[in-house]
Amino acid sequence: MIPIPLFSALLPIATTLAAPVFASLAGKVPGIYFGLPLVALASLIFAATHHEDPAEINYATVHWTVWLGGILGLVLAVVLLLGWMV
Amino acid sequence: MGQQASPHAATPRIVAISPDDGSAIDLRNPALAAFLSWCVPGLGQIYQGRTHKGRLFMGAILATFLAGIWLGGGRVVYASWKPGEIRWPFVCQAGVGLAALPAVLQAAQLNGPARQPFLASSFMAPPLSSGQYVSRAYADRLVRRDPDIKPDDFFDKPPLRQFRADQLSMWNHRLGHFFEIGTLYTMLAGMLNVLVIYDAWAGPLGTPTEEDRRALKEAGATKAGDRTS
Repeated sequence: MIPIPLFSALLPIATTLAAPVFASLAGKVPGIYFGLPLVALASLIFAATHHEDPAEINYATVHWTVWLGGILGLVLAVVLLLGWMV
Repeated sequence: MGQQASPHAATPRIVAISPDDGSAIDLRNPALAAFLSWCVPGLGQIYQGRTHKGRLFMGAILATFLAGIWLGGGRVVYASWKPGEIRWPFVCQAGVGLAALPAVLQAAQLNGPARQPFLASSFMAPPLSSGQYVSRAYADRLVRRDPDIKPDDFFDKPPLRQFRADQLSMWNHRLGHFFEIGTLYTMLAGMLNVLVIYDAWAGPLGTPTEEDRRALKEAGATKAGDRTS
């Protein structure tokens, strides 16, 4: 697991870099914004069922949101790329 | 699952171990807690005294379920077991518990002798299919309340009325992709409640610590060493 200070520094940088890419993808995929609360919900429930301390739950929620969002974003990018190539 | 406390205790307690600080979590009656968490998400945790988690689960899952109902125009949660029209997403939606129960009652009433849902209300009632018979009261209410349904959509077959259109197609046409989005929200709320139910029954799942990973690695190395020697 990435140490907390490094994770806190990387998150805003990654978000800033990913924002224009995400905005472009969102325009191509209608309804993509509706998926974001579901990613957050799944991360929250998963984190809360693996921890008991509220601080640990909060940290794990952010951790899983970034991972889940990142993996799903990657899958989306691959699917869009394949669609563009066909 | 949980661990039994000391055999010398008067009443054995079922406890789980917190993965964060190693403290004991009293699960009280795990089966009852799991059932309560199915009925209302998070209620089992509140029963166990884990109030913060209980409120968190209750708020998150019920909010998602209600958001799904709202996005789907109140049409996405319904039960149907008619051949060819089975509503499979309801299997996941039922995970939310009592909040989804009205759908079963409404379907039973509509398909039963009454030929109308409770109070002739279309809340969580399944869509009418072509050729389906309903009561006059329900037909009149639908014509009054639903902008997509006209009086011509019913044949008069005293004492009932026969629907001649397809209400599910009307819903999909009116709601567009929001029908799927609402369905997805409510399904996910139900499926995630299964994890909550397990948390109430067995305590937090925990994640392996560095110590656990090292111990597993050493155990694996020892086994490999035993096999080769």
